[in-house]
Order: sequence, then structure tokens, then C-alpha cells
Amino acid sequence: MPERQLHPLTQQPSGVRRRPSCSIAPPDLLAWLAMQGTKDEREAALSSIATSSGIRSRRALIGQFSRELDQNLGLIGVVSLTEQGITVYDNERHGRSFLPGVKKRSAGDALHADPAVNEAFDGSAATAAFFHDVLGRSSLDNAGMELVSSVHYGVAFDNAFWDGSQMVYGDGSDRIFQIGGLTRAIDVIAHELTHGVTEFTAGLVYSKQPGALNESFSDVFGSLVKQYGLSQTAADADWLIGQGVLVPKLGAALRSMKSPGTAFAGDRQPGHMDQYLDLPDDNDPANDNGGVHVNSGIPNRAFYLAAIGLGGAAWEKAGKIWYNALTTKMGTATDFAAAAQFTIDAAGELFGAHEQAIVHGAWTEVGVLP
Amino acid sequence: MRLSVRRGGGFAGMVARTDLDSAMLPPADATALAAEIDRAGLRDLAEPRAGRAWPDAQLYDIALVDGKREYRYRCTDATIPERVRELLAWVDDRPERVESIEP
Repeated sequence: MPERQLHPLTQQPSGVRRRPSCSIAPPDLLAWLAMQGTKDEREAALSSIATSSGIRSRRALIGQFSRELDQNLGLIGVVSLTEQGITVYDNERHGRSFLPGVKKRSAGDALHADPAVNEAFDGSAATAAFFHDVLGRSSLDNAGMELVSSVHYGVAFDNAFWDGSQMVYGDGSDRIFQIGGLTRAIDVIAHELTHGVTEFTAGLVYSKQPGALNESFSDVFGSLVKQYGLSQTAADADWLIGQGVLVPKLGAALRSMKSPGTAFAGDRQPGHMDQYLDLPDDNDPANDNGGVHVNSGIPNRAFYLAAIGLGGAAWEKAGKIWYNALTTKMGTATDFAAAAQFTIDAAGELFGAHEQAIVHGAWTEVGVLP
Repeated sequence: MRLSVRRGGGFAGMVARTDLDSAMLPPADATALAAEIDRAGLRDLAEPRAGRAWPDAQLYDIALVDGKREYRYRCTDATIPERVRELLAWVDDRPERVESIEP
């Protein structure tokens, strides 16, 4: 494939990042070009915003621009999986002001001495391979976006999150998470990366039902990446999220997609709309953005039931149906009932009436559909 | 004075609470806590606008009881000011702190 002619603003990057980048341009200029520039300028600016870990102030615009401009970033330059950038940084416990941190490993590098670096790297690679090989997706943005991870975030930080442009992993404090546990679980890594896919596609708002769906899709593909790696059928899989990452006295795992509410002591996830917890989105930590990690149990169980009903490996049919709904049908405000209909529609388009009936039955069993 | 920090909403979806009471501290450390709280500006900080949520980011609810006055400050991993983060790190280093997981 011939090199495309780039806009003069762009510079040819070095290393594994093959796509045009204008990371030397000021963020405001990039934002202006992404909104107002010519088609080529928009593509180049959008690509640069999407791939540059240095432009922190514009991270929130990435998904929004992708949707508003309906850009197919794949036009800019197709990057094969083997060329795809995966980079892991060490935040050296400094926190947000030092993201991403010091570069420790990128594509082609040998194993690093730090296990957390290798775990984040290998987990990102396994997740990218799953999305590519099973779902035909090139990285999070479907255009080979660099996958950036930072490990050792903050001091004894008990969390992992997606900040709009990269994955962030704390070391855990032994209070909630085992020390080093967050990067050891492939489904945790795939969960965080899937937040990126969601941001680039449906853009589900992180609040109440759309937020719970956002969480559920991250659990769905987190679990599928794990099952794919283990070559498990839906019937053989444990359907647990984050098994072995919690301190043992809290419980075995964070969530159970098969039996929501049973993963740890105090797990209050419902598996049916009768137990739906209508929590306010009021910034109270106990209310969890309107119960996004609580009510996700309902769509999680719907996916489990669909996967069991469809048989075989869960990624073969159920995963493709859910992916199609997420990436081509759902929007920022999709609620449970709309998600149910979108997956039923996707089952019909991809497979047939038999599969549609199974997906319909799954949503009925969890009380989303009558 | 008493400081309580509730962290939740992160990947685990659990709420972890940390309490520190200056009455439990040696006098010099109690003075240091007051200085840390002053430095963080906890009594005067305007709460950050929510903005776009980071998936799995933690939510912070910080309460300060100072005599008869109470102050509350809420933020997230996306919006927590550096000086507040430094205060929390100081608290997390105190052996006198009391930690719990909310039901």
C-alpha cells in the first residue's frame, strides 16, 4: 500500500507508530482542525489526537469527534496487528500528573524485568488479538490506535481505569485488591480496553442504565478474551470477572456473570430487573454513578444465558451479536430495553430466527423484556 | 478534628473508608494533620465540575469535622486536586487511621 500524502502539519513518526501524527501541534490547533479543517486535515488531526498520549487535555474529545465526524480512521493508514503499537509505561507511583510515565516496553522489545509491565503488555496484546481475529477490529478505534498502559499508578492505588485515552493500573493496597493483582487478570485488562472500544463506538454515557451497559460490555468482552485464551466453551467457562484479584477475605472474584450477587461477601449485583437498584448519579461513592457496577449484573446475566443457549464457544455467536449491537446500533443513551432489541436485531441479521429467539429468551429471563 | 475519606465506584464497585481522628494522634502529628488540611485547602475548595466520567474511576467523598463545623468535598480520579491527593497520601501513611469496607 503506497504511503498517503500527508498534510504538511503532520510529521512522520518514528518507531512502531506508523500512522500520521501531529503531536507537535498545540492541542487547540488540533481540535480546531478536527472540527473545521479540510477532510485531510480533519483526518490527520483526529488521528493525532486519538493516538497521542501526550495530549492529555483533549482526551475527552476523542470518542466524541469520532462519532460526530463519522470518520473512518482506517482510511488513514491500515496498520496490521503485528505492527500495532502496544506500549507500557511505569507511572512510578506519581499519579495523574505523571501519566503515562516512563516508557518500559513497546512492540518488539524483550521481556521486561518488571512482571507488571509484561502482564499489561501481554494482556493488551491478547485483547487486541481477540478483537482482531474474532471480531475483525483493528485496535480500540478500528484504526490501529496505539494501546497505552501505565502500571504502578499512584501509591497503593486500589483501582484500574480507562481515562479516555489509556489504561491505568494501580498496585493495590491489600485492602481491596491483592498487591499486583490487577494486571495479573487478563479479564481485568480486557475490561479496561473494552471501555475504549465502547467510547469509540456507542459512546454509552457512564451513568445509570447506559453506564451499566458500558460496564456490562466491558465484562462481556473481558470474560470472552479470557475464555478465548483458555479455548473454553460457554458451558465450561467460570463467568467470573477478576478471579483472584481481591484479597481473599473479601471473596473469590469481583463479579459473576452467571450468578450475579454471589462473587464476594457484600456483592449486591442483581440478576433480574425485579432487584434493579435505582441509585442516584450524585457523586456519592456508594451510588457508583447510578449503580453502573451494580445493575450491570442484569445485562451480564442476559449475555451468559444467550451464550449458553446458543451453545459452543461464547465468542462465536453471542460475542458477535453483542459486538454488532455495540458498534453499529447502540448510542450514548441506550437503555436495557433498547439494548435487548438491538441484540435481537443483530442476532437476526448475523444468524437467523432461531438465534433471535434465544437472545429474546435471555432478556425475558432477566426481566428486561416481558 | 476528624477526617473521613470514602473511596468507591472504581473497578471493584466497593466503598473503602478511611478515618483519622486527630485526638488519636500525638500532639505534634495532630498539628501536622491540621497543617496538611490547611495546605490542601479542604475548607475552601470548590468542588470540581463533574465533566466526562472516566470509566472505573474512583469517586472520593471527603468529610472534615472541625469542632462544630463540617466540610464535605467530592471529586474523582479525573478531578482530584494534587494537594488533596497529597493529603490523602499523608493520611494513608498514618498508623492511627481506621480502615473499613462499607457494606
